[in-house]
Amino acid sequence: MTDPGDQLGAGDAASGGTPPPDADSSTDSGPVDALRVEHLSKTFPGTRALRDVTFGAAPGQIHALLGGNGSGKSTLIKILAGVQHADPGGTIAVRYHRIAAERTTPEEARDLGLRFVHQNPAVFPALTVSENLAIGNGFETGPMGTIKWRAMRHRTQALLDRFEIPAQPSTLVRSLRPAEQAMVAIARALQDQEGEQSGVLVLDEPTASLPAAEVDHLLSALRRYAEAGQTILFVSHRLDEVVGFADQATVLRDGQVAGTLAGDEITENRLIELIAGRALDRLFPDMPEVVSDEHVIEVSHLSGGPLRDVSFGLRRGEVLGIAGLLGSGRSELLKMLFGAYGHKGGTISLEGKPVRFRDIGDAMDAGIAYVPEDRGTEASFPAMSVSDNLSAAIIPNYWKGLRLRDRRARADARSAIDQFFIKASSEQQRMATLSGGNQQKVIIARWLRREPKVLLLDEPTQGVDVNARAEIYALVRNAVAEGCSVLVVTSDFEELSHVCDRVIVLAGGTVTAELRPPDIEPARLTELAYRTKEVAS
Amino acid sequence: MTASEPTPPPLPNDEGAPTSTALAESTEPAATRSGESQPVMAFIEKYALVMLFAVVFIFFCFWSKTSATFPTKANITNVLGDQAVIGILALAILIPLVCGEFDFSVGPVAGLTQVLCAGFMSRLGFPLFLAILVPVLIGMVIGLSNGNTVARVGVNSLIVTLGVGTVLAGVVQWYTDGQSIITGISPTLTRLGSGDWFGLPRTLYILLIVAALVYYLLEHTPYGRYLHSIGSNREAARLVGLPVERLVLISFMLSGALAGFAGVLLVARNGSGSPLVGTVIDTLQALAAAYLGATAIKPGRFNVVGTIVAIYFLAFSVTGLTLAGVSNWINDVFNGAALFIAVLVSTIIGRRRTGTI
Repeated sequence: MTDPGDQLGAGDAASGGTPPPDADSSTDSGPVDALRVEHLSKTFPGTRALRDVTFGAAPGQIHALLGGNGSGKSTLIKILAGVQHADPGGTIAVRYHRIAAERTTPEEARDLGLRFVHQNPAVFPALTVSENLAIGNGFETGPMGTIKWRAMRHRTQALLDRFEIPAQPSTLVRSLRPAEQAMVAIARALQDQEGEQSGVLVLDEPTASLPAAEVDHLLSALRRYAEAGQTILFVSHRLDEVVGFADQATVLRDGQVAGTLAGDEITENRLIELIAGRALDRLFPDMPEVVSDEHVIEVSHLSGGPLRDVSFGLRRGEVLGIAGLLGSGRSELLKMLFGAYGHKGGTISLEGKPVRFRDIGDAMDAGIAYVPEDRGTEASFPAMSVSDNLSAAIIPNYWKGLRLRDRRARADARSAIDQFFIKASSEQQRMATLSGGNQQKVIIARWLRREPKVLLLDEPTQGVDVNARAEIYALVRNAVAEGCSVLVVTSDFEELSHVCDRVIVLAGGTVTAELRPPDIEPARLTELAYRTKEVAS
Repeated sequence: MTASEPTPPPLPNDEGAPTSTALAESTEPAATRSGESQPVMAFIEKYALVMLFAVVFIFFCFWSKTSATFPTKANITNVLGDQAVIGILALAILIPLVCGEFDFSVGPVAGLTQVLCAGFMSRLGFPLFLAILVPVLIGMVIGLSNGNTVARVGVNSLIVTLGVGTVLAGVVQWYTDGQSIITGISPTLTRLGSGDWFGLPRTLYILLIVAALVYYLLEHTPYGRYLHSIGSNREAARLVGLPVERLVLISFMLSGALAGFAGVLLVARNGSGSPLVGTVIDTLQALAAAYLGATAIKPGRFNVVGTIVAIYFLAFSVTGLTLAGVSNWINDVFNGAALFIAVLVSTIIGRRRTGTI
């Protein structure tokens, strides 16, 4: 066997061709890796997303790739797929084929034998299995351009047998169970691969949108594919499914390989240790202590959607953080408090009185403000001016004497632009032309102008640069100093550790832990967020 | 109210995301483009339609083929008076358009209410105020039904209103038996339709009054601002506490009521209720004006002044061509082309404005 390192002809990025026969040098006697990534780095302006990442996945094994937010996981996958280019010097190899990673194209990645299936299996529910598979491979057509249905059916049946999907070619994909829909997506990705041994299947969080029972079903299918010789790179953030399932696991942290574990070494504790690592310090404003004992919001036994039996209190003048992973129910919790998402059981009390919001208007009247997670689809009015965006939640204030006092609204907008550190050429500038950070400041200002009692923030600094981030938290701090209470959800646990007086951990739809300084530290939060069992702290 | 908000009607097969774009999704923030173009360009953008209108108007005044017939008082007042009805239909369609919904039934509603208005007077002997009020209310009720289906049930507005419009056209045929209703029309009403004040047709004044009201509604009331917000981002509008369903429903009621009133004005103008007047073709003309209007005065935004300018730009252009001897087909071609170009231009402007090229 040959060390793949010797196969790279000076900077030769050509792919394809036949595997070279066993050549001269052999320094390593082990079997060659199915996928080997070496010295991969990626620099974005201002940050290094990946530094010298090197790891290999053995053939026919399930190799898990883990890491927290911002660890470089998705950048790595994008480079593998040829969607982004790495810094010069890195290489990607599948078996004996090796290419330089700084100019990989999606076609090259494909020729190399890398096949991708993304988080939301991109299947067409309203089409048949057969059509779904053909869409990935092109429809076979006859001389007149008509589709050769019979040939297609045979081919589909062969694929269904190979991937053990219990369906007919004519079955509509939407009638399959979710795990099987994901299997159809996998079959589609792998259909032109000749044998199981030749390529690598990359699954990007394939289980993220699946219910628990479906996860098991999909994982056992994946296990069978691996046993048939398929190499699988499996990106996940659910530790419970990696433990006892993956043969190897590589953990990224801050763009570097924190460690690779194999077999019995893969335990929840070891993984969490590697994911969380040690805390880093960055610049955040200090939160002054203005916390009283009086509860502004008291939530008890709240259930509905993904939440079950959630209880906690928010004190006046407090910044309470919610640490939870995607799907933990964190966003739904905020929406319930804002009257935008119905809850089945439990009660919400505001300043000691139980409240039941029939709609968002009720919640707003009660003094609650909500900055949604997705600015583009849920908060911004892109075609309207900054002024109109700022006044969107207080329009009735400007309705006097049977007309809208637009001039006053604009004057107020101008002072808000100063007060909330918004960088805009004028209050008439269109929202869409502001940078992400400034749009976010506009949205937060929109709500702070109502002087809310409670401010709900869902990922307030997503897609926002470092300076704007600091300014946003300065705005939050000012509001708190004036008696506002804040509930903040963010995936950035380091941020939580800097801005919160207290943090509750939401996992599996319920509160599993509560932390106060000095225990609020990113590593601890990460550890808790990944655990689904209740922890005493 | 819980998770029952209406989602925009799904297009067929839109559930599967394309395979490769999930990865290709850009990590860069949305491009920050310099917001405002140069003042000169902004001026041209705002007034291009007005200038084009002036050029066309002057051209027909001096072109040898039309110079004898086009710049006459009779021709000009005739066009001004005739277009009042289409103008009101355009204002009717404008209100739901602002919040992102189509009301294709405005033409057929006007068709129905004009035969009803004539029929109420002719067959049932209604007093004039009832013969005006009841058709307007009927228009409003049709709007309520459309709005309910669109806003609360969540059916695509285009389909709903086209269907309803077709039904109404059939009802008109049934009610009139294909015959115009010409007797028993109140002379007070027809005087309103054919007379003039200070040398200008009375219907023009009515159009201007209605336009002023709709302008006030859309630009100077919270309701108008809310409709613009819904049109800009429906989910964001919901999350700032707007009762989106109700606001959209009301926009259809207003649209229906205005279309109903346009029908009454048709009776005033024509002195009869005709089964041939008031169709989906009128809707398309109104739509062309609304879209063309969105390219002027306040580019990228549906607006009343631009719509009125567009109405008369279209009408005078078609009249000029007709007077020059081009036969009737020019009407359809011109209006159709205007709609097409207007939608194209306003989409391009809109994309540039929101930075989503």
